[in-house]
Amino acid sequence: MIEQVLAAGVVLTTPILLAAIGGLVNRQAGIVNIALEGKMLVGAFVAVIVSAATGSWLVATLAAALVSMVIGWGFALTITRLGANMITAGLGLNVLAAGAIGFLMSIIYGSSGTLRLPEVALLPHVFPQSVEAVPLLGPMLANLDPLTIFAVLLIAVLPFLLRATRFGLWIRATGNAAPVVRSVGLKPKLMQEASTAFAGFLSGLAGAQLALASIGIFNEGLTAGRGFIALAAFYFGRDRPWQTAAACLLFGLLDAAQIRMQTVGLPPRLIGALPYLMVLVALVITQMRSLRRAQ
Amino acid sequence: MTTIALSAANIWKSYGSVQANRGISLSVAPGEIHAIVGENGAGKSTLMRVLQGIERPDSGHVTVMDREVAFSGPGDALAHGIGMVHQEFMLAPDLSLLENLVLGDEPVSFGRGAFARIDWQAAEAQGRELAQRIGIEVDWHRRAGAAPVHIQQFVEIIRLLRRGTKILILDEPTAVLAPQQVTELFDLLRRIREDGTAVLFISHKIREVTALADRVTVIRQGEVAFAAAVSETDGEEIASHIVDGHNPVTDNVKRGTPGSIVLNVTGLSAASVEKSHPLHDISLTVHAGEIVGLAGVAGNGQVELMEALFGLRAATGKVELKGTDLSGLDADRRRAAGIGFISADRRHEGLAIEASIEENTIAGAHRAAPISNGLWLSLRARKAVALERLKRLSVKYGTLRDPVGSLSGGNQQRVVFAREIAGPPQLLLVSQPTRGVDLNGIAAIHSILRDFRDAGGAVLLVSEELDELQVLSDRIVVLAQGRIVGELGADADRRDIGRLMVMEGAGV
Amino acid sequence: MTNWLNRGLGFAVPLLIALLVSAVVLLAIGENPLDTFSLMLTEAFGSPRRLASTLSAATPLLFTAIGTAICFRAGVFNVGADGAFLIGGLAAVVAGFSLPAELGWALAPICLAIGAIFGAAWLFIPGWLLAKLEVDEVVSTLMLNFIAAAITGYLVNGPFLSAQSGNNVTPLVHEAAELSRLMPPATLHSGFLIALAILAAYAFWTRRTSAGLEGAWVGLNRRFSRVVGVSVQRTIILAMVLSGVVAGLGGAAHGLGQLHRFTDGFSAGYGFTGMAVALLGRNTPLGMLIGSILFGALASAGTTIQLFSNIPLDLVNIIQGIVMIFAVIELGRITIRRRSKT
Repeated sequence: MIEQVLAAGVVLTTPILLAAIGGLVNRQAGIVNIALEGKMLVGAFVAVIVSAATGSWLVATLAAALVSMVIGWGFALTITRLGANMITAGLGLNVLAAGAIGFLMSIIYGSSGTLRLPEVALLPHVFPQSVEAVPLLGPMLANLDPLTIFAVLLIAVLPFLLRATRFGLWIRATGNAAPVVRSVGLKPKLMQEASTAFAGFLSGLAGAQLALASIGIFNEGLTAGRGFIALAAFYFGRDRPWQTAAACLLFGLLDAAQIRMQTVGLPPRLIGALPYLMVLVALVITQMRSLRRAQ
Repeated sequence: MTTIALSAANIWKSYGSVQANRGISLSVAPGEIHAIVGENGAGKSTLMRVLQGIERPDSGHVTVMDREVAFSGPGDALAHGIGMVHQEFMLAPDLSLLENLVLGDEPVSFGRGAFARIDWQAAEAQGRELAQRIGIEVDWHRRAGAAPVHIQQFVEIIRLLRRGTKILILDEPTAVLAPQQVTELFDLLRRIREDGTAVLFISHKIREVTALADRVTVIRQGEVAFAAAVSETDGEEIASHIVDGHNPVTDNVKRGTPGSIVLNVTGLSAASVEKSHPLHDISLTVHAGEIVGLAGVAGNGQVELMEALFGLRAATGKVELKGTDLSGLDADRRRAAGIGFISADRRHEGLAIEASIEENTIAGAHRAAPISNGLWLSLRARKAVALERLKRLSVKYGTLRDPVGSLSGGNQQRVVFAREIAGPPQLLLVSQPTRGVDLNGIAAIHSILRDFRDAGGAVLLVSEELDELQVLSDRIVVLAQGRIVGELGADADRRDIGRLMVMEGAGV
Repeated sequence: MTNWLNRGLGFAVPLLIALLVSAVVLLAIGENPLDTFSLMLTEAFGSPRRLASTLSAATPLLFTAIGTAICFRAGVFNVGADGAFLIGGLAAVVAGFSLPAELGWALAPICLAIGAIFGAAWLFIPGWLLAKLEVDEVVSTLMLNFIAAAITGYLVNGPFLSAQSGNNVTPLVHEAAELSRLMPPATLHSGFLIALAILAAYAFWTRRTSAGLEGAWVGLNRRFSRVVGVSVQRTIILAMVLSGVVAGLGGAAHGLGQLHRFTDGFSAGYGFTGMAVALLGRNTPLGMLIGSILFGALASAGTTIQLFSNIPLDLVNIIQGIVMIFAVIELGRITIRRRSKT
């Protein structure tokens, strides 16, 4: 039972984690990316189509990431160059992405809601099936896909990237004081655009993982608010890599446990709301603490 | 060896209908400190923005090391060796001082390009060496926002020198410093001068100019009004050029006749904003018909005291107005009890700059008769009240619906006064009443304050201009590091006031 | 004058961009955009019946737009109208079938009031958190939307599930609780008139009451507001609560007038479309009225267009999304950039 929850939980954590890393970096550069959800959905859509067309999970994944990256970059341009409001533009992009995908699905495939394509290549499993024998972690390891490994590696090097590389320093400085960044001859808008493109890239990966990890079918409700869960995770982790990853894992496990808790009589809809509630509570606690410290 | 590090020739720049610079020329040589003085709004800031590449001039040339340049932005200016220290320090508050030092030009230990690894050890070594060279000590791992003000300023200067700055521009660098720190800054600038760096020093404090600079240029109404070597002129001559060739405003100094106690403060303490001092055990009184001046270097608790008295800031201790205890009441209730408040920050606190003149004039009276009947507003009464108030202080404006931001600084301040003395209040808390106001406006505002006092009002006045304090006040109280360190008559020797202003750790 | 021009452009430019993009999209799928747009115009406004269905679709949007605008003009970035709409709607509907039908004509007003109260209470939470603890209202209201969807989704599948109709719906409200239909058989109901009344009240509130004036000041400059004796905290909470009242009322009207019950998926993103309307109309009563009718027209015409051609309804979402993205762009920036390049 625990093994199964753990295995399912890790699979469910990956997309949240990927998107949350993108959102975290984006917010460090001063942009609250509320459009992770829409870009994940685009990523999933592209991944399924490309995977069916090429038969390669790798090409599909990269295509998903690149398309979402370009969308993220365009999204950033409306904010940095045209002065669009990042919140309304983000919500608008979510609506636009859903609309565009629905439109394409009915025009090209004549289907509404669900897209089943033949011969969709799924993500491979990294370890041979025999690892399932490992106690406790067995089913989890057996299910492990390359994108999950990538996400874990990325979160492991992220603190270093942010702290010790030039780009990391520029990103943090941009979010903290954009005029300062400009005054030393760097281009803060460019940092914001790059970080938003990066968030798009990772959201695309997240979408690809969501679509290609097990089912290979695209559905309009596939992301089911996971982009917002990712948002919740980096708010919960206060933009710090490790804490954010921990929050993602927690939300992923919660998601996996949801189905099982139902059998005990806990309503799944309410459990699904727990991450959002937790963020609210965490925000309240953080604010209470910082206000008390200020006094 | 070039003889001119930076020169500007015939710079013109306008914003809409306002001609901010009208053919300004000036130059600075390597190893020279050149002071640029002028009133607020004379065009100094515009010129600096042009020199720094933030603004393009409408016409005119800028040359650096004898070569003509056209900057595309501050980064470009920096690459040509021009660096500026702003009034609001340009450090990212949440980064460490070291991170701020290297930002934009990081020493790299591995790799190239954006993802190169920063060599933090080399960075720190460079920082330490530079700090040593100009004779200061810096805790490089401190969060910039938490470092003392003058250290932040020094780090900014070091950062520019590290980037190869040959021409250093400082915009009123002493405004936020205590006198001791000013001395330190001047020593530092002199050492930089010896290295051959050219320094442009913007100020409106004549004494600082004569103490530090080699040459001085006075800017008035967008033109060069006067330029000379400091050794060949004196403070009086510079001052006369700043104010249009005439002597500084000679107010007809007339003192008030204090009556009974209006404001009685005992044991007031309050927390501070960043870069400033908390209030500690303040006790003072202001009488009817009296202006009490509050002297002090900026950031020694003046803002906190005024806010605490008006109920904008939580404080302990007792505040009484005509014997009524106001402690713990918020601004709304204190206003109702008879206190008016003239904010030091007119654009961000004194006025809602995008709102109409009418709304700004009647704000605060909008909830009571005759404007409101408790349920809705009478637009006619609102207009009548606004017109009457504006007329009393002869504010010049287009229509009541114009945004208040469209008025000149002096008229904006008159709108604030029109609102705040309408009550009329028993006590007026006034901060920097003439900041950014032209000379005519200053005289008018001074007479508004005097009239208010002569009608029996009590005034507590904060100003950074000692002149202003001395011509207006009946008594001067000195604030240093959040404490009251002394009280003098209005015509006391300014050296005595100055000595109190720099008292360290008084009463500890 | 320039103010009017600015508002007009602010209204027209995002719409034009959206129309342009959809024209390109339509061309790409081999449809004539002009034909489609004119068909949509006819479908939306061409007959009393069609107009009624447009206004019916505009009704929930008008409520959520006003609710959002109340907060926006006070500088409170409330994106939680959707949650309040759900909560208010469910509360009103539950009252509508569980209170005794004998209350007669009084039942509908009581149910509306209950919807308003629940909506107000719901948005009081983020309002209070923002005012007292400075909890970021964008995040809190966003999270509360999801929580509202979860709670109502749970309730219609559990405690309030209709015994007869199976899944995801509550029982129908008593007939007495229903809002009257204005032009039967069209679904346009008296909720639209309530929305118009609320719009008038909003106009009055912003211009002719001290609380409305204070809201604008707090939105422009909080420090100024404090100095002139306005309680910023109280103003923020009031804006959120009023926003909740209006959005909750909107949910109640939708439940009692349109659906006569509560269903899972009760709000088709009305809170967000309402936000687009508020942005487009720059919080002005007239702008929001036109904006909500426009989006109502899109929704109702889009549905029929889908029936008669192969243009998917999703086109409406595309237009709405683009409008939201470009709703608040600064027009000045585009022209300035162009000038500095030449």
